[in-house]
Amino acid sequence: MKKQITKYYPLIPVYAAYLILFLIGVNVEGMWQLVAMLLFYCALGQAFNIFLGMTGYVDFGYVAFMGVGTYGMALAITRLVGFQGLGLGIIVIGFFLALVMSSLLSVAVGAVALRLRGAYFAIATIGVNEGFRFLIEGAKIWNGTEGMIFTAELNRILGREAASALSTFWADVMVLVIAALAAFVTLFYMRSKIGYALTALREDEDAAKVMGINVTKFKIIAFITSSGFAGLIGATSWALKTPYVFPPEVFEIHYTIEAIIIVLLGGAGTLLGPVIGGLIYGISKYYLSIFMPGFQLLIFAPIIIVIIIMFPEGVVGMLKNRLKGTALGRFII
Amino acid sequence: MALLELENVTKRFGGLTAVDHVSLELEHGQFVGIVGPNGSGKTTLFNVISGVFFPEEGRILFEGQDITGMPPYKRAPLGIGRTFQIPRPFGSATVRENIAVGAMFGTLGHKTSVDESLEIADAIIARVGLEAHKDKAAGTLTPVEKKLTEIARALAMKPKLLLMDEAMAGMHPSDIDQMVALIKQIAREEQIAVVAMVEHIMRAVVGMAEKVIVLHQGAKLVDAPTKEALEDPRVVEVYLGHPPEE
Repeated sequence: MKKQITKYYPLIPVYAAYLILFLIGVNVEGMWQLVAMLLFYCALGQAFNIFLGMTGYVDFGYVAFMGVGTYGMALAITRLVGFQGLGLGIIVIGFFLALVMSSLLSVAVGAVALRLRGAYFAIATIGVNEGFRFLIEGAKIWNGTEGMIFTAELNRILGREAASALSTFWADVMVLVIAALAAFVTLFYMRSKIGYALTALREDEDAAKVMGINVTKFKIIAFITSSGFAGLIGATSWALKTPYVFPPEVFEIHYTIEAIIIVLLGGAGTLLGPVIGGLIYGISKYYLSIFMPGFQLLIFAPIIIVIIIMFPEGVVGMLKNRLKGTALGRFII
Repeated sequence: MALLELENVTKRFGGLTAVDHVSLELEHGQFVGIVGPNGSGKTTLFNVISGVFFPEEGRILFEGQDITGMPPYKRAPLGIGRTFQIPRPFGSATVRENIAVGAMFGTLGHKTSVDESLEIADAIIARVGLEAHKDKAAGTLTPVEKKLTEIARALAMKPKLLLMDEAMAGMHPSDIDQMVALIKQIAREEQIAVVAMVEHIMRAVVGMAEKVIVLHQGAKLVDAPTKEALEDPRVVEVYLGHPPEE
């Protein structure tokens, strides 16, 4: 039994970081906005890491799953607004819908694209994101280019005050919960056969196959899990926090790039990496845009280059190697 | 019943016939050396047996079961383990984790739990003498240690057939003797049939194999007991060219 618990020690630094963030946000005047942004980036990194970090495959269409999740929540709110009795249940249904829709899309994409390797997979997934956006716009699905604005519906369901509390505070708390869940699932995978299979296929897919590993199956497991979390993040950060959805905004490839940077900065395939990556990325972006508005990318790009060159395995990857075998090593993976 | 049977197996790459109507039979626990110069089709033959490539013609039977079109990840649990010409351990994983992967996925039904697999790995590590390196990342090992890790990883799959692709290439002769002795001993105890593919390190073949199959340009040239095969004039010719006229 004790062994089972020690296996989950690495969650302690992750959850401690989230708790400190939360406490700062709640107790320090004017910090919540920054904390909310950091939580979003940590959650995004944590979710993407399950796929990018654990399989080594780069999905340039990752934001599509967040977009579809946003639509899932939007659909639940706009279509069920008439059923007043459901109340908060509508939000729950929204989450469920976001999860189902993003997972279904990932099964469809994964079943085809995950047969490709390396760069070919990456290129194919760019097409998925853009294709899905143009499908929605062109075929006028879910209001096409006009998107959906559901501030009024959300007010009707929850009442004006609760709806406002949801978008300014509770949605961010939910993002925190999602990030924490994603971290737990990551560690659970790492400790199970899934994690061993993913490590094997990330390092050498052909060798993994002749070792008896059904690589496609495990890639799809990681892909669905990661995409499902993306859907939940979209439903929370984008649909509940800002109650509208427009295709060009939720299928913006920029977010995928940010997610890749966060995972690589922190350390791909590590548990604590996305938290560190999310914090470094979020804090630098926030303060650079205040002190040097307009120049933030110009300054930020070299910083990223320097970090990647200094720590090719990411900040946490480097820490992990340094601490291997020490008492602290059990907590940092 | 034979452990492995190849019936007229042919594998072509475009116009090149890499494996040309090869038939062979292998018994449980048998040691066979596959010998042949560079480009004679040895590695392709291994890839066809382990399922990396599918043959255009012929059938492959493993313990009587037709596995010709079976994907590699399904063949491995039946008892087909292999090592690669250039060792391919999972670099970022530790030696212990590498070997545990073999125990986890290399047996039928994947019933071995993570903890059990790690225990099996520890036992094998002790057996092959990798204790000092077990918590190192496999990518940081020396070539000989990587080879040992790969062999240990394959042994963790509890194979009935172990395919060793140039397992001894680049090793010091004394290391080869040690490795041969180790593999021989383990294979005998566990009733593993070993097929060792060798380009020119005859020392390994002579030390290990009961019979030798010589490949030449994809086709089987000789299939005979070791000593007889290596003294066969056709084999000498393949390796050294025509003997000078007296």
